[in-house]
Amino acid sequence: MSALSHFAQMWTGLADDRILETGVTVLAFTTAMRIARFGGNHPLLNPTLLAIIFISLGLEAAHIPYASYLRGTDIIHFMLGPAVVLLAVPLFRQRATIRASGRLIGVGLAVGLPVGILSAVGIAWALGASSQTILSLAPKSVTAGIAIGISEQIGGLQTLTVVLVIMTGITGAVLAPIVARFCRVDDPRVVGLTMGIASHGIGTARALQISEVAGAFSGLGMGLNGVLTAILLPAICKLL
Amino acid sequence: MLEQIARVMFWFGVGELASRSGLLPLPAPVMGLVLLYVELTIRGKLPDDLGILADRLLQLLGMLFVPAGVGVIAYLDVMKTEALPILAAVIGGTAITIFVTAIVTNRFGQAFDREREAGQIAEAVRDVSP
Repeated sequence: MSALSHFAQMWTGLADDRILETGVTVLAFTTAMRIARFGGNHPLLNPTLLAIIFISLGLEAAHIPYASYLRGTDIIHFMLGPAVVLLAVPLFRQRATIRASGRLIGVGLAVGLPVGILSAVGIAWALGASSQTILSLAPKSVTAGIAIGISEQIGGLQTLTVVLVIMTGITGAVLAPIVARFCRVDDPRVVGLTMGIASHGIGTARALQISEVAGAFSGLGMGLNGVLTAILLPAICKLL
Repeated sequence: MLEQIARVMFWFGVGELASRSGLLPLPAPVMGLVLLYVELTIRGKLPDDLGILADRLLQLLGMLFVPAGVGVIAYLDVMKTEALPILAAVIGGTAITIFVTAIVTNRFGQAFDREREAGQIAEAVRDVSP
């Protein structure tokens, strides 16, 4: 009995110290990576998506509330900041290619930015979504940190926007390599740029798996799309 | 290596301050990215350890989104009433965005490349001809 209570105490200790949640997340992701590699890195076997499914099923089965899991993974979540800062490295390594592709990047943004907003807003409007939902959807292709600010400015719901941003990221990371192959687009600059503009950091994580050129262009697409959307979208909303 | 971790955290921190000042609509990590890039451009050289650190951490970038993604699943039943328009807008809209952006940008990319090749040939011809 005392051994059991000792065990229970040890277990809560682990949970309190975030070791359990962090460990489970790392384990789920490494397992997902292994499955993805086993499946020839097929886009549908996206490690981020697989790990999310594993953990959600695990939490559901063990009746662990999401909030307590999320509290325990703040270290992983925190690492996102330094990781985004480090995207400067692939950008710096590919600076010659980037400088030579100025017009290409301009075209990508001129197309991807408005299409990203209008396609989502248009579909939601056609299917009768509420105006608050439509406004929360508008910045969905932008990296979460910027999208929250835009959503607040134009009258969307911040929490909903975060959810939509992450859903968009995963959708893009899964679909982009499939669409690129289907359309026979094999220029890594174009594939990367598209992934960054359409699906921000999660798309960039996938683009980095394709090649460093794709990763660098994706990071660049994410950053420029974020900044331009933050400037343009609230201004356009004010005009309407 | 520790020095490079400190460098990243330094720019992340400065990015945080710059972001809070509200001068630019950029979150701290993106601000840090720009600052680190500027520093590297001024130096003109990438420290070896910083390259290794970036390669290692960016390989795991996908993992860092997992907690947030699990949070999305928790939120799914909250938006049940508008699930159809939301899912259609997110999945359909993202598919359209990728399709259109990839095709149009690729066309222009090919045209730009041809233009450059033509320019190079013209230059070579000019060099050869007296």
